[in-house]
Amino acid sequence: MADNNAVINGSKQYIVVKINNEQYGIDIGYVDNIVRMQRVTRVPKAQEYFEGVINLRGEVIPVMSMRKKFELEADEITGKTRIIIIKTEAQALVGLQVDEVKEVVTLDEEDIEKTTYDKNREERNEYLVGIGKHADELISLLNINAVIADDV
Amino acid sequence: MDVSQYLEIFIEETKENLQGLSDQFMILEKEPENSDTINEIFRAAHTLKGMAGTMGYKRMQRLTHATEDVFSEIRSGNMKVTADLVDILFRSLDALEAYLDNIINSQDEGQEDNEDIIKLLNDALNGETNGDEEAKAPAAEADSAGINESGNEAQSGDSNDEKRKYRSFTYAEFEEKAIKEAKEQNKNVFAATVWVQESCLLKAARAFLVFKEMEGIGEVIKSSPSVQDIEDEKFDLDFSVVLITEADEEAVKKAILSVFEIEKVYIEQLNPDEMFKPVDTAGKEEKVEKKETHAADNEKPAAKAAKAAEPKKAPANTSNSKPVINRSVRVDIEKLDELMNQVSELIIAKNGLVAVSESDSNTNTQNFTEQIEYLERITTSLHESVMKVRMVPIESVVNRFPRMIRDLSKKLGKKMELYMSGEDTELDRTVIDEIGDPLMHLLRNSADHGLESSEERIAKGKPENGSIFLNAYQDGNNVVIEVRDDGAGIDIEKVRNKAIERGTITEEQAETMEDKDIIDLLFMPSFSTAEKITDVSGRGVGLDVVKSKIEGLGGDIEVRTKKDEGSTFTIRLPLTLAIIQALMIELGDEKFAIPLNSIQTIEDVAVSDVKYVRTKEVIHLRGTVIPLVRLYDILDCPPRDYESENLTVVIVTKGDKQAGLVVDNLIGQQEIVIKPLGKYINIEKMISGATILGDGEVALILDANALV
Repeated sequence: MADNNAVINGSKQYIVVKINNEQYGIDIGYVDNIVRMQRVTRVPKAQEYFEGVINLRGEVIPVMSMRKKFELEADEITGKTRIIIIKTEAQALVGLQVDEVKEVVTLDEEDIEKTTYDKNREERNEYLVGIGKHADELISLLNINAVIADDV
Repeated sequence: MDVSQYLEIFIEETKENLQGLSDQFMILEKEPENSDTINEIFRAAHTLKGMAGTMGYKRMQRLTHATEDVFSEIRSGNMKVTADLVDILFRSLDALEAYLDNIINSQDEGQEDNEDIIKLLNDALNGETNGDEEAKAPAAEADSAGINESGNEAQSGDSNDEKRKYRSFTYAEFEEKAIKEAKEQNKNVFAATVWVQESCLLKAARAFLVFKEMEGIGEVIKSSPSVQDIEDEKFDLDFSVVLITEADEEAVKKAILSVFEIEKVYIEQLNPDEMFKPVDTAGKEEKVEKKETHAADNEKPAAKAAKAAEPKKAPANTSNSKPVINRSVRVDIEKLDELMNQVSELIIAKNGLVAVSESDSNTNTQNFTEQIEYLERITTSLHESVMKVRMVPIESVVNRFPRMIRDLSKKLGKKMELYMSGEDTELDRTVIDEIGDPLMHLLRNSADHGLESSEERIAKGKPENGSIFLNAYQDGNNVVIEVRDDGAGIDIEKVRNKAIERGTITEEQAETMEDKDIIDLLFMPSFSTAEKITDVSGRGVGLDVVKSKIEGLGGDIEVRTKKDEGSTFTIRLPLTLAIIQALMIELGDEKFAIPLNSIQTIEDVAVSDVKYVRTKEVIHLRGTVIPLVRLYDILDCPPRDYESENLTVVIVTKGDKQAGLVVDNLIGQQEIVIKPLGKYINIEKMISGATILGDGEVALILDANALV
């Protein structure tokens, strides 16, 4: 499992997901599993962006909505909605609910542009490690640890 | 010899023995003449020494050996037990525990030699006996710094010639050459005869260990009988060797005696100039003298050499590494048999189900139900059995407390006594591991703050000796542990003033608060009423930590106090953590579980019977007023439009408090497996976990304690 600095060195594989109308890349090293949408049990008084918990083969795993996390409009569950199960460095599992999983891409170092500080989008920038260019598309690469561990 | 596979057993047994020693020392302090206790201690020390020796923990072995020596003297009546001696013994016990901790953490006993304790023990030995112990305890001497060195040398010098078999060695030419070369290189050449204890069963193994020790520090150039014969155990009780080494005599002796079951070693520096004179009749007296001066010269370097040799073996600092030992539970073989039986029944039940599914479809349903019932019975009893295996008597936690109270009593200068009951009460292993610290804290609290000083007690007309009680007992599905003292009780006014002073509550609040609520303030973070901070307790971190730890275990804690009569801390813990009986309820279309052990009754209440007290909803039920908790609102359930005329109320209790939880529907009783909710998600106290239902759905478990 790579640490965040290593992500931008050398070539790496990313899972490309769609959240709202943007594409995001998740370092494949963190991904344990991708599951279809299933019944989520609401957890009262948890952080806003947590949808609740699901049962994944006998384990109870919290699921966060990336839309809620990024303060976008509410989720619309479709047949394409997926939960990406992330295994963190602390060996804990957490699910990320995304609109769609598109593909797996391999990005070389030169395809990745480190993010710079952007005044207008300050909020979301801290969750990104860089922007990847693949074919004509731009993929925002998520800083998984920041997304998950963040307690706001 | 690889002994790592015995490590776990060693640790378990050492723990037991140390605990035994601690208990016996406590008895000994009160009854210095109790010969049963003395014998018991001697035996425990002896076993410990043996085990430590076998495992190669030499420092530990030396320390226990010194202890054993002391008790061998006491046992034979040559020595009396004094208060000072008991203090030294307790110190040595602490040191042994420190060794054991090191071993648990790193497999290595660590670098602490505890020379001071060994010296104290030996001094005690020398002070009391008339000096003839040297002969009995050869190893002790080798260990103790030169105090009784000369006596030893003189004795072994004159009386044991016939045992110094190496003197009859004849040397071949190449051996002679090797010895001379060694001398030229300023190495030491020793001849030694090693005597194995008569009771030793594995002489060859011991001899092998001796050889291994010697080869660790030098080179063995000659042995009699031959190495092959020794390995085949073709020797009586002794064997002789010639060793070339850079180490000095003490170090060699020490190395050899470090092997268990070695009775004695006779060792001598060889001097080739004298040895290989044409006529080998050099005066023995002269040789002995020479050796003695040599030994004296070497004393200091010896110590240094020993110290210098040690760090080589020392592993890197291990403070941050994880313990190498898995936590284990000792299980009664009967419990295991029971488990085995149930598993075989489980297989039968499975086969039964297979048979039913294959049989004719008409009779299917009924047989199927029967089989399911059978299966249910088995899984329930299987669960019970597994839980029993996980249960450990609380004794393993509380048995160190008498010692702690003894030390506290000395430290605080108060007279106090700890009375324990119910040590055989069993708790889940995970609880046992966690409960030690909170209990210790409560006991320290009682000792430090609870009990008054002796003068104060006498002035109040109480017995001078303060009493602390630790009682454990099972109460339904809970285990209750009480820590009680007969001290001054909690000064409620003091707590009230302190709380105002600290800004925890306002004066107006203080006016209206009941005493009980005031006492609860003690569990707030950083709240200590001790006027002076002692190192026993009273830094303000404490009761809040105790409380959160106990709540983390799914339990709760309560205090009752009465001025001048004392206070009682009552801890209530669930018997097991993993699987519980729960009542499943429904709120809207969401399901929740309420642990059965906190439920008192379930009532149907008409909406019109709901009264208001201070704008809060209550119901009046059989003479008690019970506040209502609308789970619907508390749990932020999605809004709904209907309101039924009757409320289903689940009455839950926590200690002597009650609350009525309003639910929509009851589903029924179910055995549920508690699962953690995972990291990262913040959960309120009122949710203690989650469980997975039969259909794969996740339901949350409500913690009734947090709702009351």
